[in-house]
Amino acid sequence: MTTSKVAVHSSAGAATGRPAELELVERCRRGELGAFEELYRTHSARLFSLAVRMLGNPADAEDQLQEIFLSAHRKLESFRGESALGTWLYRLAMNQILDHVRSRAARTSQLTDGLDDASVLADAKSRRLAEGTIQRIDLERAVAELPEGCRAAFVLHDVEGLEHREVSEVLGIAEGTSKSQVHKARLRLRALLAERK
Amino acid sequence: MDCDRYLNSIHERVDLTIGSIRRAELEIHLDGCDHCRALLQDLQRIHDAAAALPVVPTPEGAWLQIAGRLRMEGRIREETPVARAAAPRYAAWLAIAAALIIASGAAVMLLIPRGAPAAAPVSGTATAGAAGVSSPDEAVTAVDAAQAQFEKAIADLEKVAKDNRQSLDPGTSETIEKNLGIIDQAIAENRAAVRSEPASVAARETLFDTLRQKVSLLQDTISLINEMRKGNNAAAAQLVNKS
Repeated sequence: MTTSKVAVHSSAGAATGRPAELELVERCRRGELGAFEELYRTHSARLFSLAVRMLGNPADAEDQLQEIFLSAHRKLESFRGESALGTWLYRLAMNQILDHVRSRAARTSQLTDGLDDASVLADAKSRRLAEGTIQRIDLERAVAELPEGCRAAFVLHDVEGLEHREVSEVLGIAEGTSKSQVHKARLRLRALLAERK
Repeated sequence: MDCDRYLNSIHERVDLTIGSIRRAELEIHLDGCDHCRALLQDLQRIHDAAAALPVVPTPEGAWLQIAGRLRMEGRIREETPVARAAAPRYAAWLAIAAALIIASGAAVMLLIPRGAPAAAPVSGTATAGAAGVSSPDEAVTAVDAAQAQFEKAIADLEKVAKDNRQSLDPGTSETIEKNLGIIDQAIAENRAAVRSEPASVAARETLFDTLRQKVSLLQDTISLINEMRKGNNAAAAQLVNKS
């Protein structure tokens, strides 16, 4: 079992974590800037990393980070604590990022195709990774080439360490779909990384 | 060999979610299949490399822009520490300085001990100032501390504004530069007045007023830069008119 890099599902310290989150949210709702800054400091780095990896462009990611937190501030009224604050923010962030990706793709007429199972399998069968460490920069570039659906599932699951149940909650998809998207992404990455050797 | 039927098992083994029976079946298959063994190794390496990708540091200044926009949208309850402080004026200055830093989102963590309640910075700083001021020397120390806080906020805001000034049109940029120059001149004069009359409350208050004006102008500049970058001309015009 992988371990989430962020307390998305606040299992650790569940007895104190959730009430503390709700208290923080309540203070944000009352308009306390200090409370919202605390929320920002806790979650912004992970959300920015997510945005950079989904958008492949730090400047775009910075703009989206602002929109994510402004949107979070506006929507805190609707946060009921049914999911962890981190999960709620991931969901909000991913919706914002995917909307942006789609509008950008629509503007440039560069809609990405879904991954075709047959071609993915054929690629994966015919290619092998070179020996040695996978370079971070190569992996980042290959991730940026994935279609958005499986890129989102892969980043959340393999990079951020969310479980498939959490990925399905964030992306609003079935758990089986999350698994399928992550599996396809790994196979496509194998093919892409093999091309770079 | 029918390798495709083992594909899900290979992924589940990478994820450490595979059950014991399926794992045993997979191991038998892997013993006789170079292709699937290589696939497992590669997918494991990709998974491990992905898990090791570092967190990307949040850009400096991002919080300042968010805080500026929240202020502009009127979503923040502004603290009024001066009204709250029936305490000495020096404590009020400290509180104003702290509140401005919080309003601008700058360096608040430097003012608050880790683990302290997040609502504490404004009142906590002010109270600390009020409680500690009981002699002229302590008053001077409190005023110096407040001034240092103002200057820290100004330095942070100036850096963000300077780094992003290219987003403004030259005319607006020139006007802001001119206004900042006027305020800087006033600050210099007021500092000289405080140096010549260290005990003068009026001189101190005037200096703090000008420092506060500078913080306010820089905050508006950052908000303006942000709106220009977003292409939000209406909000930008509103800020320009305000200035």
